[in-house]
Amino acid sequence: MSTATPTFSARSSTPTIRAALRRSAFWLVAGAGAIVVAIIAFLFAGAGGTAGPPLAADNPAPVGGMAVVEVLRQQGVTVVPVNTLQEAADATGKAGNATLFVTDASGYLSSEQLADLPGLARHTVLVDPDFTALQALAPGVGFGGVSTADSLDADCPVAAAERAGTISPGGKTLGLPSDAAGYTGCFPSGDAAYSVIERVTADHTLTLVADTAVFANETIASFGNAALALNLLGTEDTLVWYLPTLADVPVTGPPSLGALTPGWVTPVLLLLFVVTAAAMVWRGRRFGPLVAENLPVVVRASETMEGRARLYARGNARLRAIDALRMGAITRMAQAAGLPRTAPLDQVIRSVAALTGRSPDRVHAVLVGEEPAGDAAMMTLSDAIDDLESATVLAARPPGSAPGAGDSPASPPSTGRMEP
Amino acid sequence: MTLTGRFVLLVALGVVPIVLLGGTPEEALAVLGGWLLLALVLGGIDLALAASPRRVGISRVLPSRVRLGEEVTSELYLSNEGRRRLRGIVRDAWQPSAGAGNNRTAIVLPPGERRMLSLTLRPYRRGERTAAHVTIRSTGPFGLWARQATLLAPARIRVLPPFHSRKHLPSRISRLKELDGRTSVLVRGQGTEFDSLREYVRGDDVRSIDWRATARRNDVVVRTWRPERDRRIVIVIDTGRTSAARVVDEPRLDTAFEAALLLAALASTAGDRVDFLAWDRRVRARVQGASGAELLSRMVDGMALIEPELIEIDWTAVPGQIRAITGQHALVVLITPMDAPGASTGLLSVLGQLTQRHTVVVASVTDPAVVDLVRDRSNREDLYRAASAERTMLDSARVAAAVRQLGADVVTGSPEQLPPALADRYIALKAAGRL
Repeated sequence: MSTATPTFSARSSTPTIRAALRRSAFWLVAGAGAIVVAIIAFLFAGAGGTAGPPLAADNPAPVGGMAVVEVLRQQGVTVVPVNTLQEAADATGKAGNATLFVTDASGYLSSEQLADLPGLARHTVLVDPDFTALQALAPGVGFGGVSTADSLDADCPVAAAERAGTISPGGKTLGLPSDAAGYTGCFPSGDAAYSVIERVTADHTLTLVADTAVFANETIASFGNAALALNLLGTEDTLVWYLPTLADVPVTGPPSLGALTPGWVTPVLLLLFVVTAAAMVWRGRRFGPLVAENLPVVVRASETMEGRARLYARGNARLRAIDALRMGAITRMAQAAGLPRTAPLDQVIRSVAALTGRSPDRVHAVLVGEEPAGDAAMMTLSDAIDDLESATVLAARPPGSAPGAGDSPASPPSTGRMEP
Repeated sequence: MTLTGRFVLLVALGVVPIVLLGGTPEEALAVLGGWLLLALVLGGIDLALAASPRRVGISRVLPSRVRLGEEVTSELYLSNEGRRRLRGIVRDAWQPSAGAGNNRTAIVLPPGERRMLSLTLRPYRRGERTAAHVTIRSTGPFGLWARQATLLAPARIRVLPPFHSRKHLPSRISRLKELDGRTSVLVRGQGTEFDSLREYVRGDDVRSIDWRATARRNDVVVRTWRPERDRRIVIVIDTGRTSAARVVDEPRLDTAFEAALLLAALASTAGDRVDFLAWDRRVRARVQGASGAELLSRMVDGMALIEPELIEIDWTAVPGQIRAITGQHALVVLITPMDAPGASTGLLSVLGQLTQRHTVVVASVTDPAVVDLVRDRSNREDLYRAASAERTMLDSARVAAAVRQLGADVVTGSPEQLPPALADRYIALKAAGRL
């Protein structure tokens, strides 16, 4: 019975690494190509994009300030970009005579820190000041809304503004009430609204420029923007280009969660990621391909019978159901009474009535006549049929045989036994 | 290639040096990188030192046949044809129904040596059970990384029908022998033929005394009788769609196989010639001209691969098929479901032709649950179910009556009862000489 196959060096269905690489070469090349294209596209998009902090000295985007910084550097001005107030103080302190350029679009600086700014340099240019900055440095100045003038002419005795002549129209302005002393407003647009305001005190000059458009890369070349910017910023040898950052925000309250966390927590988390990945490979690696199996269909033979029962129930087919029970009972009773299979119904009814001692009319009503009107009537009729059948079987049994078995109905015919 | 749990543990142990040595985040990151590098290097060395799972020779020793429900041992011989010691796990990929259980075995295979892996199969489905391949996972000396390859190593084992009904065989054979002249109980009838003469012993039927032979000798001589021999029996099994239905969790087809096997075994012992045909719209199995042990073995072999088809049986071709098997008078046993008059029209239409030439027995499996359902009428749902069950019984009784009217015999029974009932009917027919 046993068969032995000869030993053979089995052919492997798992490809070797070389074969796998060769097979997936196209996809590897395609994937690498897609990544290269994505990187190139990102680089180009990054160069021309509008991203980056506004007016940053190293930002070539339209909102950046690299253009004016580069021109100033070519003119021999030392531009020192700084990010914190401390750095700004260091830079100005080192340079001696310096111009301080400040723009705080995000409002990082507190009023105390703003108040320190004039002490750092002789000339401070504050671009796009917010409410806090105005309160701290130029309490008399308010906001003037958006300029609606068609053109903005200098129209003031400030030298830089006069040289510039005009700046690009539109943009924000600052309001200068008539009672504010010591301020000079330039580029007016309507009532007491100026785009540039200067205040000269004994040891310090503060210039407020309402809009960033004067310095932004995108708009610096139009009108007299460039002239104004270069004249404002290029007066001293050193220009400190100060853009406040989060580092300027004073630390308050208890130490942060990051400061309390031990140094090893992040590496351990990374290690856990690696461990999870390794565990997934360990548990997830399949031990060879699956083996297919055709599954058998399970069909129960009684399904048609159950289906027919539900059809009867749904259709309330009482008469049909009770007739089926009657026919079965009549067949069994005829058998018990010793009648042939082909005996007519009347004869069966007469024999049953004679055997059980019941009236033929009653037997006829139970076996043929009655039509159940409702479910309760059907149940009663079914019980009557059952009762009649067991009574017949009991009466037909020869006396003395199997006493006490009369309660149980007759064993069913045909099924479960050899047919005679 | 794959990893082991040990490698995962090794990586996870990196927590210890990171916590102990990593005071600041930078130091801790450095320790992490160092540890991962160490683990990778160790894993790489391990992988490089692991034996190739491809350089393995495979052979199998496997019985070609097994009876359903019995166990069989599959032997798989692996020989290492590489130069390194192979440690690892082997999976012998049998179909689930082959009943291989846990088919993964750890193995250590020194170079040039051969090892046997034995696997106990306990198939739980009839038919051809196959194994497609053997997968070997070879771990390195540290047990960190492993190489894995799947080697094609096909195997197949034929699972035969169980023939549970053979437990009825001894009792039926002894009843058959009662018909034979060898026992003291002498049954005379049409179905017996003259066997031999022997001396009278007390108890013999005086009617069987052969007076002429007695006159020739000085002793009283009686005739002995034996049942007819060398009759033809053709068993036709319906493998159409209705044979797929399950009665008491056994497809009707399997019950038909049991009944056919018992009948064939009995008839073959009694000296009759048995032919077997499994038919729906084409011949699914045919056994002709075999006898004794060969008959049964060819029958189970043919039956093993038969599954019910999703088509209706073509009864019109059955008389032609039987004529092709034998032209003589034969006992034709048709094993087919006999449920509804509508579904049995095909059978009834050809039965007349068959009964003209042959003695025909129609055997059919009935559902014993139906009888119980008729009794249960406790509520409305049950009453309707009882009515439906009664209807089912009436339907099959109508079909049975029609079959009898056409001159054929009917044998019905639950899956346990049908095979012995069919055997009994065969003995009765034999005794009556109707073969």
